Amino acid sequence: MSGKIVPTFTLAFTLNGGPVRVETSPGRRVLDLLREDLGLTAAKEGCGSGECGACAILVDGAAKLSCLMLAVQLEGREVVTAEGLGTAENPHPIQAAFVENGAVQCGYCTPGMTIATAEFLAHTPDPDRGQVREAISGNLCRCTGYVKIVDAVLAAAKAAPGESS
Amino acid sequence: MKPSSPNQPDFSFRHADTLSKAVGAERYSTDFTPPGCLWAGAKRAGVPHARITAVHVGEALAVDGVKTVLTGADVPGSNLQGIVHKDQPVLAVDTVRHAGDAVALVLAESREALAEALSRIRLEYEPLPGVFEPELALAAEAPLVHPGREGGNLLARGLVDKGDARAAMRGCDVVVEGEFETPMQEHVFLEPPNGTARLTATNGLETVVSTQAPFRDRFEIAHALGLDPMRIRVRAPYLGGGFGGKDGATVQCLLALAALHAGGRWVKMVWSREETFLAGYKRHAARVRIRLGASSSGALQALDSVMYFDSGPYAHLGVEIMALGLEHAGGPYMIPHTRAEGFCVYTNNPVGGAFRGFGVVQASFALERSLDALAARLGMDPAELRLMNALRTGEANCAGVAMESPTGVRECLEAVMAHPVWAGRHTWKEAAPPFKRRGVGIAASCNAMGYGRGLPDAAAAKLELTRTGTFRIFNSVADMGQGNAAAFVQLAASALNQDSSLFEVVQPDTRLCPPAGSSSASRTTYTFGNALLRACEAMREKLKARAALALLVDEPSRLRLAPGVVADEATGRSIPLALLGNMLQRDDRICVDQYVMPVVENPPDTGKAFRLGFPHRFFSHGACVCALEADELTGQVELVECVTAVECGRVLSARGVEQQVHGAAAQGAGLVLMENLAHQDGRILAGDLSTYLIPTSRDLPDLEWLAVDGDEPTGPHGVKGMGEVGIHGPAPAVAQALEDAVGLSINRIPVDPMDVLRALRSNKA
Amino acid sequence: MSRNARCPGSLDELWPLLEEGVTIMAGGTDLLVRRRGQVPAPVACLERIESLRGVRVHEGFISLGACETHASLLRHALVRERLPVLAGALQVLGSPLIRNMGTIGGNIVSASPAGDTLAPLYALDAQLELVSKWGARRVPLAGFIHGPGRTGLKPGEVLAAVLVPPPEPSALQHFEKVGRRKALAIAVVSLAAVILTDGEGVVLDARLALGSVGPTVARCPKAEALLAGRRLDREALLAVGEAMRSEIAPIDDLRASAAYRREVAGNLLLRLAS
Repeated sequence: MSGKIVPTFTLAFTLNGGPVRVETSPGRRVLDLLREDLGLTAAKEGCGSGECGACAILVDGAAKLSCLMLAVQLEGREVVTAEGLGTAENPHPIQAAFVENGAVQCGYCTPGMTIATAEFLAHTPDPDRGQVREAISGNLCRCTGYVKIVDAVLAAAKAAPGESS
Repeated sequence: MKPSSPNQPDFSFRHADTLSKAVGAERYSTDFTPPGCLWAGAKRAGVPHARITAVHVGEALAVDGVKTVLTGADVPGSNLQGIVHKDQPVLAVDTVRHAGDAVALVLAESREALAEALSRIRLEYEPLPGVFEPELALAAEAPLVHPGREGGNLLARGLVDKGDARAAMRGCDVVVEGEFETPMQEHVFLEPPNGTARLTATNGLETVVSTQAPFRDRFEIAHALGLDPMRIRVRAPYLGGGFGGKDGATVQCLLALAALHAGGRWVKMVWSREETFLAGYKRHAARVRIRLGASSSGALQALDSVMYFDSGPYAHLGVEIMALGLEHAGGPYMIPHTRAEGFCVYTNNPVGGAFRGFGVVQASFALERSLDALAARLGMDPAELRLMNALRTGEANCAGVAMESPTGVRECLEAVMAHPVWAGRHTWKEAAPPFKRRGVGIAASCNAMGYGRGLPDAAAAKLELTRTGTFRIFNSVADMGQGNAAAFVQLAASALNQDSSLFEVVQPDTRLCPPAGSSSASRTTYTFGNALLRACEAMREKLKARAALALLVDEPSRLRLAPGVVADEATGRSIPLALLGNMLQRDDRICVDQYVMPVVENPPDTGKAFRLGFPHRFFSHGACVCALEADELTGQVELVECVTAVECGRVLSARGVEQQVHGAAAQGAGLVLMENLAHQDGRILAGDLSTYLIPTSRDLPDLEWLAVDGDEPTGPHGVKGMGEVGIHGPAPAVAQALEDAVGLSINRIPVDPMDVLRALRSNKA
Repeated sequence: MSRNARCPGSLDELWPLLEEGVTIMAGGTDLLVRRRGQVPAPVACLERIESLRGVRVHEGFISLGACETHASLLRHALVRERLPVLAGALQVLGSPLIRNMGTIGGNIVSASPAGDTLAPLYALDAQLELVSKWGARRVPLAGFIHGPGRTGLKPGEVLAAVLVPPPEPSALQHFEKVGRRKALAIAVVSLAAVILTDGEGVVLDARLALGSVGPTVARCPKAEALLAGRRLDREALLAVGEAMRSEIAPIDDLRASAAYRREVAGNLLLRLAS
């Protein structure tokens, strides 16, 4: 059987505001890099094929699917995961709005939803319900029927006018 | 909604778990990846029915990083899983009975090595003819799924009846009949089935699993692998969704088997989404034939129905699901004479199993469509027909059980009928934009709570006062997102008159928590909640008695719990809980109590085939109005409004009820609008999320919920369970609305846009 | 042993990789989905090659860099204002997350008959600029795509830009996608129409393209000819729709039957009935 020596390289990028250097295979899935090598488990795997959005992260401010990205693509980029938006002690206004509006049930989709929301509100500070539904349409939720998620995004927009991540 | 008395818990709090979930800090089972763990994965059959002639594992074993490859011969114990009926091998031995059967199990050092090894296992088969249609599977010459089994492919037949339906049918002024089909449905919980396991130094088995039934899992694993259940520890962190799909064997036994061969290392197993489609169980596809008779005034007289449930090759909870289907054949209506016969049948299709609405979805769609046909025949308003036949408290349902518990279907119907979507439907329909046809439909439903007779619907609750004066609730019922853990905090905080911030919740852990039933059957808050309230009562009495020692009070009954203290109002003195916590030894700081749900006291003489889970005493009720637009050019159907009223006893947490109704209605809407688990000859054709479609945020309207207040005297603060009832409305309401909009009468779901176009064409001609 | 994934910063860095036989990745939303669970083969990501980016007017064309993402194109004023038929498709392509990653070049080279940008680009008579270390060539999009997943891309070549001749500002541009849901959907049928009328509403020129109704996107020359000289009234559009049905070769699949696709393909133009 072929010896599986996967070549590695030193990947350097900014993660949640701080510099990161990590030895990894350039072809490693970003989702695995974050969750298993760097211990950041907010981004979740729901499908591995871009159909659910649970793995969303911000890369240079754009919400992307970390299950369809390779480590080498992160070189020099600025990456934000849901952990980088806020913490339980100091949640981001979007995260707080999700909690306060009952938008979290099982919560597995929530980090991805908040990431998609963060990019959306940065571009669209005063959205209507239709725009919000469009903005989160790549993030599946099986628990909520989306109503309270839409409420939460609108509440976050009101809570932090003009604020972007 | 404000709590109606000071003793009522305040549920308008900030959930601790929702915050940790929102910031990405909560650790689900799948987030637990111990450093250096092994990875386990199953080789799936890929064919629906075959004799295994060889399993070639040599090439897989040769892959770098592969630790071992196991086959059916390596399974100790019975090698049989199953909640009630043990018929599903952990690893197939001689035969595969559906395409998702596990045939071999690989342990590897990395996911990459695992994937490589799985691709290098070669299976040799001798194909066997399969059966893929329940009624055909019952034919005398049909191939057998379990050769030699008494009863052949008939897993179970059941009959639930009352009066003499067939005689009464002959006396009816109007009789309608029809045949209805509901499809398999995939749960699509977002967290796939997964877990980790290891052997401990003392030869125990420790597991962390995304499961709805941690206590039962121990016995399943032990039975299948020949282990001592008391040496198995199962922990169930918050689940990333369940909906019934994690109420039974997914990874548990495979993972435990892997751990037995891992030399004490942790083993992790995560199913891919595709594997979940292939191997996970589904809502049973069902076919229902109904004859429904009424008087000319619309009073229902007789119901005669036959249901076929496709169990796939294994029983799972198929018999119990069919029992519930038959018990709900007559819905929330008063029908004097009823007969519901059911057949649960083995096939080589994917495995049928538990899913929110458990047999009731299937029965409800058929009955509601039949009511629509009856309304049309009688020239009656479909809402009025339902209202005039709505079951009242004290009347007997179709199983002959008199409804002792307050029964609110009438109030639910009245609530949705008063809503502008129903009341204003004529004006709204006339205002349809170009190329659109509008329609509005209504439906009612009920859903039983709890396990029913035959097994105790029980929970034990443990509550600890910590040494620092805070409280720890040992939650024994997994929280799959329905918020029960947070609800328990509020129940306890209210009962003990403490701030909710003083409480922490230990998630289900069979080593730390006393046993309870599964997170299912709309039972969680009712049963564990009642147990917890009893434990709180014991804690309150204990704290007063112990405080009395310190406060030198000879009548502990005059002491009161106040935030952070036990207080003596007579003297103005008090003792902090922290002091009490520090004073008591650990055993004395713990209270455990339990609750068993009451059952029907004099069950009717029917449904004898069902040892377990029949009949039920408590039901929640619902009604639903849906408004839709159908496109004349494409036949596409858009759900524009969906309003659901639910009666589930007292509404303690408006938000909690609303969340469950929204989620259930969304799944019901998906079922009728788009969810199509297409399969052919036992193979799933829509086996991933690009082909099996569930609603996105753009496919659903702002779902609405209407509160109908009730009261269930036995419930914790008057509540009944309601996690399921909201799923039943959208399918029949959309079907009726479609008939209203374009004249299309559907008897199977989901809606096919081609049928909408055909109806438009024929109605124009 | 070479690295299994690279991000060359220029075409000059890309050429030797192509000679090694790497697979090109221009977004990854299709490639990585198809390679799920497989042993990874080396890929080269094009996202850092500046010369494959940019939206500009060039030699009378609107030039769309092949590695522009769907989202970036959608934000661009030239696309929104001059090519609304394309913007309409981009707006309903996948999801916002997919649009942030997938590129127009990737959509073209994947050559799915359901690729959302393809029907508009066919209706716009788009051309492609292909480059290799030996030079560049320009080909019409319609001849470049041979069938599902099959294109005229030669070894050593990459798609650099999509060149779109902008329609007359007064031309009607219309796009409709029919899917089984409203987001994250694969088209069951899509229609792109670019129609130029005179001041009286009489059609001077019509370009009609249908997606997901055959192995490649289909232009409908008979229907286009039939529409010329007529007004966009119901009667004309019914006749044109019937012609469109005769110009396609749809198949049955999981999402829809051939009969449904054919029926709807002829219906969609009616949306324009005045």
